[in-house]
Amino acid sequence: MIETLATYFDGQSARNRTVHLRDDGDALSFSGPETPKTIWNIRGLHPIDAPTKGQPYRLTHDAKPGARLIITDEAFIQNLISHSNHLRGGYSMRDIANIFGWTVGGLGVCAALTYLAMWILPDRVAHVLPQSWREKTGTEMETTLSGGAKRCQTPAGEHALGTIVAALAEGTPSLPAVSIHVYDMPLVNAFAVSGGKIIVTRGLLDKAETAEEFTGVLAHEMGHVWHFHPEAQIVRLGGMEVLSSIFTGTNGGNATTNVAMLATVLRSSRAAEAEADQFANEALINAKIDPKGLRSFFEKIMKMEKDQGSNGAMLGEIGSIFSTHPGTEDRIKNIQLLPSGVVAKPVLTDQEWQALKKMCG
Amino acid sequence: MQSPPFDSAATQQAPEALRFEYVPRPGLFKITLINLVLNILTLSIYRFWGKTNVRKHIWSCIHINGEPLEYTGTAMELFKGFLFVFGLFIMPLVIINALLKLNYGNQSPIVFATNSLFGLFVYVMYGYAIYKARKYQLTRTLWRGIRGNLVGSAMTYSITYFGALLAKGASLGWATPVMNTVLHEQITNDMRFGDAAFKFKGRAGPLYPTYALCWFLVGVLSIFFIAWGVSLVAGNFEGLFEKTPSQKETLGILYGLAIIVLVVVVYFLLSPVVWSIYIAKEMRTFANYTRFDGAQFKLNATAGSIIWLTIGNVLILVFTLTFGWPFVQQRTFRYMAQRLELEGAIDIDRIQQSQAAIPTRGEGLADAFDVSAW
Repeated sequence: MIETLATYFDGQSARNRTVHLRDDGDALSFSGPETPKTIWNIRGLHPIDAPTKGQPYRLTHDAKPGARLIITDEAFIQNLISHSNHLRGGYSMRDIANIFGWTVGGLGVCAALTYLAMWILPDRVAHVLPQSWREKTGTEMETTLSGGAKRCQTPAGEHALGTIVAALAEGTPSLPAVSIHVYDMPLVNAFAVSGGKIIVTRGLLDKAETAEEFTGVLAHEMGHVWHFHPEAQIVRLGGMEVLSSIFTGTNGGNATTNVAMLATVLRSSRAAEAEADQFANEALINAKIDPKGLRSFFEKIMKMEKDQGSNGAMLGEIGSIFSTHPGTEDRIKNIQLLPSGVVAKPVLTDQEWQALKKMCG
Repeated sequence: MQSPPFDSAATQQAPEALRFEYVPRPGLFKITLINLVLNILTLSIYRFWGKTNVRKHIWSCIHINGEPLEYTGTAMELFKGFLFVFGLFIMPLVIINALLKLNYGNQSPIVFATNSLFGLFVYVMYGYAIYKARKYQLTRTLWRGIRGNLVGSAMTYSITYFGALLAKGASLGWATPVMNTVLHEQITNDMRFGDAAFKFKGRAGPLYPTYALCWFLVGVLSIFFIAWGVSLVAGNFEGLFEKTPSQKETLGILYGLAIIVLVVVVYFLLSPVVWSIYIAKEMRTFANYTRFDGAQFKLNATAGSIIWLTIGNVLILVFTLTFGWPFVQQRTFRYMAQRLELEGAIDIDRIQQSQAAIPTRGEGLADAFDVSAW
């Protein structure tokens, strides 16, 4: 049995009380002139700080969390902690479990939210968005993408475009309603934007050698429209912005998360490209239009990629919808040709094709 | 071991004077290192534990009459405060913002208006965050088993705080002494230790001579540097037209750099140095205006010591890439503990624990706004 004098604060008054303290092995008992005899079992004791040499040692107890017992007797402290390990202070297993649990849990929630926002929600939401929203957003996107370039419109050209759509619709009656706008822009590109709008550049018309090549590209863009890819992408970008703000606690995210998010978008658009390719291929076969046109256009894109690839221009001047997607070679390989015995129908007459090509003068 | 006898005199205490002291303890460096590593490993979720450990350490170094302060807050309380504000404000705001952008486009006036409203909300709630954070910390501060508190309305303080921001701006700063006095009076009069109250009483008038001195000094310095900059440019202006375009470009870059250097010198070095004179005066005055149970505070704050404290703190933050913030906090608290005095005796034994309600979570808004309680 070991005894000493200690100071006691009862948690009710700031008055300091001197008490006579005794270590009974399984409990501390103390009493003083103004303090009735109190027994604190060792298990319920908590150190306020880890014991430090030369510093008073402060204890509290589960039974009276506001009370403080302050011990200065070094020998008494050493004896007490020698038989009660939990009084040494520092992190308890519970603290560690808390930090670890919240961290892993937090990361799990982040991962689940990301999965939801990137892969599950965009597609679902895209299918239920109101038509008025699709059209309004599509018009905004068209204005942004065309960047003030002149829209090319000739009666003969419009007629040729209508003929292509009609030819495709003959094979695929469920073909989505689209409006195709040609802009006087030098880059080789075609975009599907929300609301069934397809934007085609003069560069693309120049680059395409046959009506079949051009029809292949249009069918591909119609695939995007059919799958609501532009709408899904808008929803995905919005979700990304929310997540990046939430994860980083900033408005707009930081460089690291933005790169990670961009990678996710690119990945998702690869999947979308494959879907659009498949749609295009089927639509061409159904309409008896030679898919070799689509293939030869891909080959041209591949050549352009190679020419520019050395400058790392994957996202550069071509800026092509195709160029953001790797494996153009794979895509070429995946194109199914017309079944044997089926004779390809020409999409446009030579005159119609020339009228289309000259739309921008 | 023989049981020592009681010293009966020790239990009969008369009113006593209070002495503040900073008694350093080893361990802050270790806490800082652990914070650094675990903050990275847990993607900053550890910050609540880190903050709590730093406070426990620093509080325990501040002794009043030999008895240390004790910080009783827990990291879980801070974490709950964070989750509460996150779920109630931040997440809804971010989602609403994203939906509006999705529907109306980035440049839409509706998005701009909503963002402005959010910004206004932050300014209006700034004082609220400060008040609540200080209330949390006071209720988690124990001395001789008794805790502090703030017993007033955080919203009232927040409205005053917002009003003060507007008044200071509209008066080109001249409302600062009055508004700071009003704010200090409000929060100090709400402050309790147990059932004993702090009292703040005093006028802003005595602050004005020092304020005017600093205001004009900064004004004169700015005018001087602007004039100097202009004369520098004008002196070299002659013959500018005979120079080649590349020479003109070089000169342009040089002037640009000179202007940036001037702005940095005036606003980040000279201006804070001059304003330290006022800050020291304000701190001394407010301490003089504050009483606790009949005793009066006194703070030995000087412009020189504040400049030194600030320079040290900035250097620590810069060279540790802000991870050294526990030492900044230590230096600041040590500064106060070493320079604060309470003149007059206090009957400490009479002070009882207060039954006023205490918050169960803390500092969510302060964490979100990144404001400090003090």
